[in-house]
Order: sequence, then structure tokens, then C-alpha cells
Amino acid sequence: MKKRKLYGILCLIAVLVLAGCGGGVSGTPSAISTTITSSTNTPASQPSTGKSRSNIRIVVVTHGTAADPFWSVVKRGVDDAAKEMGVKVEYRAPETFDMVKMSQLIDAAVASKPDGLVVSIPDADALRDSITKAVQAGIPVVSINSGADVSKQFGALVHIGQSEFEAGVGAGEQMKKAGVTSALCINHEVGNVGLDQRCDGFKKGLGGNVKVVGVEVSNPTDAQNKIKTAIAQNPGINGILTLGPLGSTPTLAALGSGGPNDKIKLATFDLSPDVLQAIADGKMLFAIDQQQYLQGYLPIVFLTKYAEYQVIPTGQVMTGPAFVTKENAARVIELSKQGIR
Amino acid sequence: MEATTKQVERYAHGLRIARRVMARPELGAVAGLVLVFAIFSLVAGNRGFLTREGTLNYLEVAAQLGLVTVPVALLMIAGEFDLSVGAMVGASGVLLAILVTKYGWPLWAALLVTLGVAMLLGYINGYLVIRTGLPSFIITLGTMFVLRGATLGFTRLLTGVTVVSGVSAEVGSNSLVKAFTGTPWGVPASIFWWLIVTLAATWVLQRTPFGNWIFGSGGDPVAARNVGVPVARVKIALFMATSTSAALLAMIQVLRYGSADVLRGTSLEFQAIAASVIGGTLLTGGYGSAVGAALGALIFGMVSQGIFFTGINTDWFQVFLGAMLVGAVLFNRFVRRWAASEAH
Amino acid sequence: MGSQAIMEVDRVSKYFGSVTALQEVSMRVAAGEVMCLLGDNGAGKSTLIKILSGVHQPDEGRLLLDGQEVRLGSPRDALSKGIATVYQDLAVVPLMSITRNFFLGREPTKGFGPIRWFDFRYADRVAREELEKIGISIRDPSQPVGTLSGGERQSLAIARAIHFGARVLLLDEPTSALGVREAEIVLRYIVQARQRGVGIVFITHNVHHAYAVGDRFTILNRGRSMGTYTRREVDPAQLEAMMSGGEEMARVSAELERLRSLQQ
Repeated sequence: MKKRKLYGILCLIAVLVLAGCGGGVSGTPSAISTTITSSTNTPASQPSTGKSRSNIRIVVVTHGTAADPFWSVVKRGVDDAAKEMGVKVEYRAPETFDMVKMSQLIDAAVASKPDGLVVSIPDADALRDSITKAVQAGIPVVSINSGADVSKQFGALVHIGQSEFEAGVGAGEQMKKAGVTSALCINHEVGNVGLDQRCDGFKKGLGGNVKVVGVEVSNPTDAQNKIKTAIAQNPGINGILTLGPLGSTPTLAALGSGGPNDKIKLATFDLSPDVLQAIADGKMLFAIDQQQYLQGYLPIVFLTKYAEYQVIPTGQVMTGPAFVTKENAARVIELSKQGIR
Repeated sequence: MEATTKQVERYAHGLRIARRVMARPELGAVAGLVLVFAIFSLVAGNRGFLTREGTLNYLEVAAQLGLVTVPVALLMIAGEFDLSVGAMVGASGVLLAILVTKYGWPLWAALLVTLGVAMLLGYINGYLVIRTGLPSFIITLGTMFVLRGATLGFTRLLTGVTVVSGVSAEVGSNSLVKAFTGTPWGVPASIFWWLIVTLAATWVLQRTPFGNWIFGSGGDPVAARNVGVPVARVKIALFMATSTSAALLAMIQVLRYGSADVLRGTSLEFQAIAASVIGGTLLTGGYGSAVGAALGALIFGMVSQGIFFTGINTDWFQVFLGAMLVGAVLFNRFVRRWAASEAH
Repeated sequence: MGSQAIMEVDRVSKYFGSVTALQEVSMRVAAGEVMCLLGDNGAGKSTLIKILSGVHQPDEGRLLLDGQEVRLGSPRDALSKGIATVYQDLAVVPLMSITRNFFLGREPTKGFGPIRWFDFRYADRVAREELEKIGISIRDPSQPVGTLSGGERQSLAIARAIHFGARVLLLDEPTSALGVREAEIVLRYIVQARQRGVGIVFITHNVHHAYAVGDRFTILNRGRSMGTYTRREVDPAQLEAMMSGGEEMARVSAELERLRSLQQ
């Protein structure tokens, strides 16, 4: 019995050490995912100062849960940039929208002393400590996607994203042009300040009556029913804005069942295959493309250059809003199939 | 002849002591801890695992789990389960946050009320288990759902959102807040709380009559009752302890991260049970250790954070965790059997 | 041996819904005496023991202690009055040490004021001594009680009860789960306990064990008492017959009555 135990433990150690040495690209979208992309091409020119590319290591920590197709596009951007720049990147996110876990992930990243840190900031209060610690430790930090208003304050070098409020205003104006006067704003990730800002901007842009409805999307059937209920409870609305694919999918299903709901005009933030198809089919007015591919791609490029030459843009780099309508839907569908939009 | 007999006696005495040490429930956890630490030090030592920040990082994760694991282990030793601790964390957190932000209560009052509510809910758990005679697994599963649902319902009703933020702004940074969020000598307060809870729990368990009652209630509640142990009171007290520890964790998290989330603490109950089992506590009750549970939580923390330092694909995290759990339990059983068999 | 009875039940009855568990049962036990309570399964022995130990309260009849009527509200209540019960399988907790088991519920403490802790030094010593007294010698009282044999465990439970001042010992089938040798250990200790002046109610359905240690015998059959007999009045075969009930029982019972009335 004792010998077997020992043997078992030795096997376990062997497996772990082998797994660690392996590294390599992992493309599986798992709950907490780490990707190591090692350099495949030797860069054309070696910089005279700064680090050589293959020694550069960047950690990305986002709040993007694995289930959200929005974030797999971001990750695609990250992976593409890592390959093209020839640097090592590790991508991490908590299993659920959990600020405690995210803060701990950032702390772990800081302790491993990377050459650059990319973070999203969905909750400034919760993450303030961890991010300022990173900056104090001398790690160059770039923020993406959310937290534009606190980014500079925390010490990040640049923010790459979309001004949520402005994008919301844009959405409102577009819907107004299409004749919407009274609308619902469906929030699928309550607590994310960025989403709140979208609804706020929408209210301003539309100028009409807007009601915000919070929906939990862990259970799609449940979400669909909640939306149907919300519609029923608000007769007279003629427009719905959803804030992401997790919200638009159940809404499309809720509206698609025919009946009086058909006259409600639908628009959404962010793209997904059903969203694009719905636009092409005329079931949806437009979608706001945040071009989140760039939110993954650009930070890697910036941090690589910063590690090499200490150059980096300042302020905010706006990746959106870009509007996808029936006219350009086809091309975007092609790119979406490749996971780029 | 004299000399040899003395030698034999000393050897036998030494063996007895060694066997006593080996028979302790914590041994499996200690061995597991050494193994895990060795693996991570080897693979990730120079990638941050052995730095001060890295160590504090996994210790903090361990502490947050350990705060709840230790009382849960004590309850398990007494023969009962509390599956509602996770829901309790979520509920206490939003209660505290809402009192402070929406109703503007002073922090000390909000903390007291939160504590009181937690103790009450713990009492209800215990009372239901005793009164109905149903397995605590079922009862607390039920209270878990009720609590989660009520938390979500009330929070949305009162605030319209499921994440209540803005706590930091309301409470500022006085010494009361610092008790939960401070970092004396750079070490997060949660770690100190964890140590205090572990020390208190192990002292009560091993060195007081109440601790003897815990072992008795779990080992054989009828025999215990027949010699006058107030089994019902012991269990209810322990249910109150687990709820209170969940509330304490919630307080630390809300004050540290500035917000409360109705979903906090999800699957905490199972992690606590797993960590207790790794630490040598039997699922069937009557045997276990508070220190072991704390070590089990430490292993959890070390593994869940340590894996980020290795660069290993974290898909394997759950495989490793499962293997550790089964391995530790088997090792534990093997050692105990060996110790018990050599009694005569 | 017929000194004043320590404990007595006087025409007690107990009903559970429509089921009559006991009907007008009377029984006495005196100090230094072993009263054997016999009967087949379902005869009502368990119910009677539960009444004597405070788990149940009688629906009719009285319970007397030292001649005074009492009411036992709970096992703890009975315990505090010196009535200790030792159950068949449920006497000791296997995973706990001998010391912890011995002092469970009555742990000795030392400390300052409200801060008290388990006095293991004292407890270990006393546990070892008490076990020596009944002939069980152990190396280490902190070893799990599961390392003792079945008979030793039952004896430990009895020694424990006596150590803590039990005057009446209720033994619910203590030998029924044990092999021959183990049962002997327990029976020997029961005799020892009797010599120390404890009043013992020994429940069993094994007539031979009963006859080995019993002074008097009460037979229960379907909730009723078939009478109480001394050693001189019956032999094991007659006891067996009475326990099984039916014609055999009626015949033997009648014959004994006849013999008794002849003696008067």
C-alpha cells in the first residue's frame, strides 16, 4: 500500500512537470484560461535598448467570463498580437463576474513581475487597490474596455476602449431617427458601470421615455421569459436596446415569436453571429460595434513597444462606436465567422 | 539485560509517540501541503511564487476560504453539514452594503445588525435540523436556496441592482474599517482573522469539555445524549458559528473591495467541505481537526493561486485539485488504520 | 436481600396511539440486587427501560425512587438522580479515546474563573485506574476506545456509570451482541457491581445469561407482566417457556402459582 502511494505521487509530479514544460498555445475557451504564446518567428530587427521580444511577458486580466462571445473576440486580438509581436502573453479571467477573484488575479499577476499588465476596470472601488499596487511596483499598466474615467487616476498609461456614454448617445440618436419614442434598455450584467453608462447615454440620445431592465443571463430560457414579461408590462414601447450578445440573444428569441411584438424596433451593442444575421434579415436595426478586437490587439502592441523603446500613446484610444447596418452586414458576417468581429 | 530492556522500552515509547503523531487527522493535510509547496516552488519559484507578494497572494485567498472552513469543519465533526454558508456570505454582504449606502447607517451599527442577522439565521438552521430530524444536508440546501433567492429579491427591490457599490465612499477609513481592511506589517487583516479563528477553534475542540461534546455528538449522538451531553445545543451553537463566520468573511470582502454582490460566496460551501475533508475531517462525523481544516484551506489557496505562477494551462487546475482531494483522503485513512491496528 | 427498594414502578401503562406498549406493569429493584427483565421481542422491555431512564413518561401509574414518587423528565434528569442507562450498541463512541469516552458529559476541568479547560492529566489517570479495577489494563488511555473489545467496551460503560455515582443501573441487552467470552466479561462485572451495592435492572432475552447473575426475574409478555419470581422458584427452562407465551406459558405459570400458594 505504501509503495503504491509513493508511485502515485511520483506519477503526479511527473505529469505536472511535463505539463509545465509543454507550454504552447491553448485555444480552448475554459473557465479560467491561461494562454502562453511563445515566439514562432525571430523578429527582423533587434532593438538596441530595452528587452528582446522573446523575453517580454505580458499578463492580461479581464472580467470577461468564458461564456460571453464578446470576450473571445478580445482574446483573439490578444492572441494575434502576441503572435505578430513574438511576445509571451497570459490571459486570465474569473469564472463569474466576481470582483474579489479578479482582484486576486491582478495581485497574482503583479507578484509574477510581468513586463506589462492589461486590465479591464468594471468596478473601480474593488480594483483600485490592486491596480495602484501594480503601478507602484513599476509595472506598465494599460486599461481596456471599461473604467475610462478612472484609468488615468489609477496610473494606467493609456485607456483603450469606447466611451460608453457617447456610444449610448449615438445609439439613442439612431433609434430616434428610426422613429422610436419609448424604449427598454436591457442590462445583462448589473454592476458593470460601463453598461449603466450605455443606458444613460441612450436616454439622453433618444430624448424619449427609457426604462432600464436588469436581467440575469445564466439561464437563457429564464432571461427570455423575463424579457417577454418586461415587454408585456410596458405596453406602448416601440424600441429595445440590449447591451451585448448575452442580452440580445434572448431578446431576439422573445421578439421572434411573432405577434404584436414584431413592431418593436431592436438594436444592440456588440456583435454576435445571431445579431449579424438578424441585421441582415432586417429583424434588427443596427448593432454598435465596439471593435473589441482592437481592445485585445492594441495593448499588446503598445506594451511591447514600451518595453522596447519606452514609447506609448497617452489619453484614450477610442475603438468605437462603429455602426453595423444592413448595408455592411455581409462583410462583417464573414469576419465574425473568423472570430475577428 | 538491564540495558537492553531499557532500550526496548525507550524504543517502544518513541514508537508510541510517533504513532500518536501519525494518528493525528492533520497528517494528510501536512503531507499534502508539503507536496504542493514543493511542486510549486520547483516549477514556479522564480516566477513569483516564492516572493513576498506571491506568498501573501495565496495566503489571502486561503484566509478567506479558511475563515469559513474551520467552523464548517467543527460542524462536520459534530455530524452536520451547512450548505448555506455561501448564500450567507452573499446575504450578509448586501445587507451590510445596503444599510451603509442606501440608509446611511453608521458602520458599527450596520456591522452589529449584520452579525445579529447571521446568528439568527444560523440558529434557524440548527433549530430546523433538530426539530425536523431531517438530514442537515437537505435542510441547509433548502435554506441556501431560500437565502439566495431572498437576497436577490430584496436587493433588487430596494436598490434595483444586484451589485451594491459605493461602500468605501460612505465608510471612509477609520480604525473600525481598518480592523477588516488594514495591512499590519503589510499582511492583510483577513490572514490575522483566519489565524485567530483557527486558534480559537482548535483550543475549544481539543482542550475544552465543549469540544469533547462536539466529538461525542458526531461520533454517536444517542450515546452522548444518554450521558448527559446537550447534543441539540451543541449543534445549534455550531450552526450559529458557521453563519457568523460567513458574515465575517462578507464584512471583510465588502469593506475591502468596496461593494457587495448577491452572487458572492457561490460554491463556497463545497470548497469548505472539501478543504475540511483534505484536512482530515470525516464526512460521517466524530473525527477531525480545526488545524487540519485550516491547512486544507491553505492547500486550496496555494493551488488556486499558485497555478497562475507556473504558466501551466489552468485547465488542469481541477484535475489537480480532484487528485489532491482523493489522495489526501486515502493517505489519511491509511495512516489512521495503521495507527489503530497496532494498539495491542 | 429484600431491603427497601431503590426504584419501583407501580402499575405503569404506556400507549403509543392505539398500540398498548405496557399495561399495568409493576416491578421493584433493591440495592445490591440484580433484577432480570425478560421477554421476547416486542414484549415491552425497551419501553419499560425508557420509562425508568426518563426518555418516556408513563401514561398511567407511578414511578418511585426510595419510596418517593418522582417524575423523570429527561435522561439528564434521571442521570442526576443516580439512574444510569447503558444501551447495547450505543454505549461508547468508537472514534474517541478511552479518557474522552469515560468523562463524556462530565468532563473534569481546571482553570481560572470562567476560563476552564479539560483536565486531561486527572482524567487520564482516573480512567486508567477505573479500568484496572474491573480488570482491564490499558497502556494508553488516549487510544481510541475502538481498540477495546466489545465486552471491554460494555464494561467500560458500566464502570463509568458506577464511578459517577449511579445507584441504579439499567442495562439494555448488554450481552446480546457479544460472543460467549465477551459476554462472560460483562456478566462478571455485573456481579462485581452488585457487590458494590448498586441496584441493577438487566434486560435480556437470553435466559442463560439472566440466570447466571439474576436474583429475581420479571417476565413481560405483550406489554403485561407475567409475574416476578426468585431464583429458588424457577429454573431456566421454565423462564424460557414463560417468555415464549402461549399454552406452555400458561401451564408453567399456573404450576408456579400453585407451588407458591402451597408454601404459604
